[in-house]
Amino acid sequence: MLRLTLVSALVCALGTSAFGETFRWASTTDPQTMDPHAVNSAPVLGFLNNVYEGLVRRGKDMSVEPALATRWEPIDGGGWRFHLRQGVTFHDGSDFTAEDVLFSYLRASSEASDTASWFASVSEVVVVDDFTIDVITSSPNPIFPDSIANWMIMDSGWAAANGAELPAKDSENHATLNTNGTGAFMLTGRQPGLKTVLEPFGGWWGDAEHNITLAKFTPIQNPATAVAALLSGDVEMINPVPIQDAERLSQSPGVKVFQGIEARVIMLGFPHEAEVLKYADDAGMPNPFTDVRVREAVAKTVNVPAILRTIMRGNAEPASQLVSPAMRGYSVALAARPAHDVDGAKALLAEAGLADGFSFGLKCPNDRYLNDEAVCQAVVSMLAQIGLNAELDAMPVRNYWPELRNDNYDMYLLGWSPGTFDAEHPIRFLAATPDADKRLGSWNFGGFSNSRVDELLPMIQSEVDYAKRQAMLDESAKIIQDEHAYVPMYVQPLIWGARENIELTQRPDNFFILRWVTVN
Amino acid sequence: MLAYVIRRVFHSIVVLLAVGLVAFSMFRFVGDPIDNMLGQERTQADIDRLRTQLGLDQPFAIQYWKFLSGAAEGNFGVSYRQGRPVSDIISERAPATLELAAVSGLFAILLGIGLGVFTAIRRNGIASNLIMTLSLVGVSLPTFLIGILLIYVFSVELDMLPSFGRGETVMVGYWSTGFLTKSGLVALILPAITLGLYQMTLIMRLVRSEMLEVLRQDYIRFARARGLRERVVNFRHALKNTLVPVITVTGLQLGSIIAFAIITETVFQWPGVGLLFINAIHFVDIPVMAAYLMLISVMFVTINLVVDLLYFAIDPRLRVDGRST
Amino acid sequence: MTDSARQTQVTAPSSEPSRLKTVWESDFGYAFRRSPVALVSCLVVLFLVLSAVMAPWIAPHDPFNPVTLNLMNGFTPPSTPNAFTGDSFWLGTDDQGRDVFSTILFGMRISLFVGFSAVLFAMILGVTLGLIAGYAGGWIETLIMRVADVQLTFPAILVAMLIFGIAKGFTPVEYRDQMAIWVLILAIGLSDWVQFARVVRGATLVEKNKEYVQAARLIGRSGGAIMLRHILPNVLSPVLVIATISLALAIIAEATLSFLGVGAPPTQPSLGTLIRIGQGFLFSGEWWILLFPSVTLLSLALSVNLLGDWLRDALNPRLR
Repeated sequence: MLRLTLVSALVCALGTSAFGETFRWASTTDPQTMDPHAVNSAPVLGFLNNVYEGLVRRGKDMSVEPALATRWEPIDGGGWRFHLRQGVTFHDGSDFTAEDVLFSYLRASSEASDTASWFASVSEVVVVDDFTIDVITSSPNPIFPDSIANWMIMDSGWAAANGAELPAKDSENHATLNTNGTGAFMLTGRQPGLKTVLEPFGGWWGDAEHNITLAKFTPIQNPATAVAALLSGDVEMINPVPIQDAERLSQSPGVKVFQGIEARVIMLGFPHEAEVLKYADDAGMPNPFTDVRVREAVAKTVNVPAILRTIMRGNAEPASQLVSPAMRGYSVALAARPAHDVDGAKALLAEAGLADGFSFGLKCPNDRYLNDEAVCQAVVSMLAQIGLNAELDAMPVRNYWPELRNDNYDMYLLGWSPGTFDAEHPIRFLAATPDADKRLGSWNFGGFSNSRVDELLPMIQSEVDYAKRQAMLDESAKIIQDEHAYVPMYVQPLIWGARENIELTQRPDNFFILRWVTVN
Repeated sequence: MLAYVIRRVFHSIVVLLAVGLVAFSMFRFVGDPIDNMLGQERTQADIDRLRTQLGLDQPFAIQYWKFLSGAAEGNFGVSYRQGRPVSDIISERAPATLELAAVSGLFAILLGIGLGVFTAIRRNGIASNLIMTLSLVGVSLPTFLIGILLIYVFSVELDMLPSFGRGETVMVGYWSTGFLTKSGLVALILPAITLGLYQMTLIMRLVRSEMLEVLRQDYIRFARARGLRERVVNFRHALKNTLVPVITVTGLQLGSIIAFAIITETVFQWPGVGLLFINAIHFVDIPVMAAYLMLISVMFVTINLVVDLLYFAIDPRLRVDGRST
Repeated sequence: MTDSARQTQVTAPSSEPSRLKTVWESDFGYAFRRSPVALVSCLVVLFLVLSAVMAPWIAPHDPFNPVTLNLMNGFTPPSTPNAFTGDSFWLGTDDQGRDVFSTILFGMRISLFVGFSAVLFAMILGVTLGLIAGYAGGWIETLIMRVADVQLTFPAILVAMLIFGIAKGFTPVEYRDQMAIWVLILAIGLSDWVQFARVVRGATLVEKNKEYVQAARLIGRSGGAIMLRHILPNVLSPVLVIATISLALAIIAEATLSFLGVGAPPTQPSLGTLIRIGQGFLFSGEWWILLFPSVTLLSLALSVNLLGDWLRDALNPRLR
């Protein structure tokens, strides 16, 4: 028995990849950098979660659990004290201490970083001792530990030695292609856009649940090619599976499909401030969407069950508010969407003096959300039933955001996934009156504004009592729902495909965590 | 002669500059790189700062000038997407495309000439009519569909060939080659057929019509009358004389193989420069787009120039024309 | 100018009805009647063009009218009643519940319109520039042929993408959907004119040194008249061949552009767009969304190609 342990320890130490389980997987997007602070995007953060770790991390059910910090408690006057895990080493063998946390704070909150907004409320980070650190916030911030699961800790000595003290966004530095984290896997090969190779880190502090000895990631953009690669066994897992292929794949021998609900809510947005419609047939028609009855008519006309049944093929859940039920702070009492009611919608239009309908322009991305363009096409034909004739303009997302920012729309499609997994997030970004200085409403393209919502937001942000906070979240959600500020349609599904012999866990944030994978 | 060469080279440079200008003016319409570079929680201030940092707030003539002066020193800038020097990225990716282009070019030339000769000799045979018609089927469907159908049949249904990528590659110096491993060679088959099919058809038809033309010539009739064997007549006399136009066209087509590799590489996830370019468009990675377009045009202009100069050297009649133009 | 006007008057009276008959009874007509391939492909092209033209009258549904669409009809298999609505469609429906047969008819209309217009545009541009370059010579020729080089420098697909990108930038947003078609025509046409120009210039270079042209020049014909009335007719047959093959190429090019996301918009799908949408359903079992548009495109492009092939042989007297 002892000898066996010795042998396996030796094997681990050598890190041989000659035997054991090789795991190959593919996704549509390549993580554009290996630097955890340079780009705040899901492909990068999701991938690097396997290599780097934060003070806290999210478990299989998205709950926050200890990682590099073993416990934490609020400090009087605002802020949190984190007690760090001892005996943790980075991949290159150097020790993890509070200095690395301080360094990673400075790096991740610097001007050169894309993650600075996570630390907007932080005024100072203080090293108490080697394994204790205080994060001081300007006011009480109850959700701070929840909001930093993606704040990854980098080795300060390694960064300094390689000249990577600051993230590089438009130039290359050592951390763009190399890593030194504490995670369960270490990066052993990186060819951007082609292949990224990970191997288990023998000195990881946790207990490995996986049995992978070598993991290779390849980006495959064309969905049909990815499906073919999975079917022919050229890869073990793909993310995502095109919705239309889910059912067929699950019936194919040797392949199985994992389905879940993502955090992203897909909704229609309106211009709340525009005086006139931009794309009406009779130019300069006053903007009818400022009338709540018209917005409600749209909500009643969009036949969400039909979209879910055909375009989403029964793989998505309807949404009634800006967050999905899986998020913290979801308002259970407001779970019902307006029923599909064409006659009711027509009556509302008539009430608003628009019984004859009108024409307008609908903007839509065609490469951002699952089947986004098909959904928009369907919305166009549904709205035509009540005399609202939409001219659809679908475009790649690279052209889409500039169009929305320039107010070139009469209605638009938007998907929102709250980075904090909390209902406060979409209120801050989508419902608060836009204010550049306070960093509020930065994605509220239509300029929806409600004084009560604005008033509630800072109170929600600093309320420590759970019930009081939820009551305020419910009140905001109710206002947004009653005002039909947006028309939430559905929660985007999460569909992964894998070979039969693969066991994995699908997390609602669409992060693929390698340490939960077993190859049988 | 020298004056002609100098003039042609000068023209080529003007062509290159014009291409660059057109390409650069396009970038404004491809989209905004900023949104791809900043996360969901960006602010207007972040956007403005990055725009200034990248020099995107300057008029495009100035951006073009900066690009040109950099390019003259072999510096194509840094990719917005990957944050690495574009020249590094392109030299990493070029072997994949060049190997694919070489194999599909070879496939097109060998099969094209062979079938062309065959269909010319058996002009009215059933087999050659069938080949002629079938070859048209290949060019009557868009390349991307042919690629997807090939994957469907040979990778998914028959499970014979890999569905994507290059297989295992070996580094020979700075060059990553797929020629030295079995998986690398197998991975070449489907993409090479997809990419070479169109050129194969073209060469085959050209060889056939040139052959038909030559076979009618008096010296062929004379050779036949002399009692030379059919094979000698067909190959030594006829085919040899058809090769000049074939080589010219093939030379020009080699360039378009590399251009059409964009589609093949997208379908097969072939890690070459074409895929790089499509991704660059997707993420509005202006330095990569500019470098790719510039390299492609340098290549095409060079091929064009060489072909022209060859003509000039071979055909004395053109020299008179050359002087008058 | 006056010369050419007089010339037109002299030759204008020619009996129109008998011309068709003359063609039919000519060598060319004979070759056509004797070639089953030519006959069949000509019939297929005629049939497809006719059904595309007649689409609004023969299509059972109007796929462009959103009011008539029912999303619940989506993915109905061919000739099988839909489980929810009970509607049945001959060739099934796509993801939006559009009748595949009708979208093919309307899609072919767009593909053919784009194809014909692009080729016509390329032909007019190419022939004119080729004639001018060949006849005028000097710096004009250099300029035109260098521009042609620029064009050749850029592969057709890239040229089309460039033009598409630029034109889209200049088009006011509200016209983009309608503009997409015209931009496609412009893009494909512009990427295709060089072939015409090269052939015509080459032929012009040969023709302009022949005695009859010298003679015409001696009696004082203007350059324009010589080009139009003497040289042009002699270069028409290669132009016709190129035009036919270009038509097939243009239809395919449109499909390819659509795959790269710069083709006709899905709300007004061409055959290429239909195939692009359909290829997403290759693995999911809805084969009819991909198969029927592909077969239509194949028969169209193949017949046009075969016709062009035959035309090349038939118009080349040396091969007869």
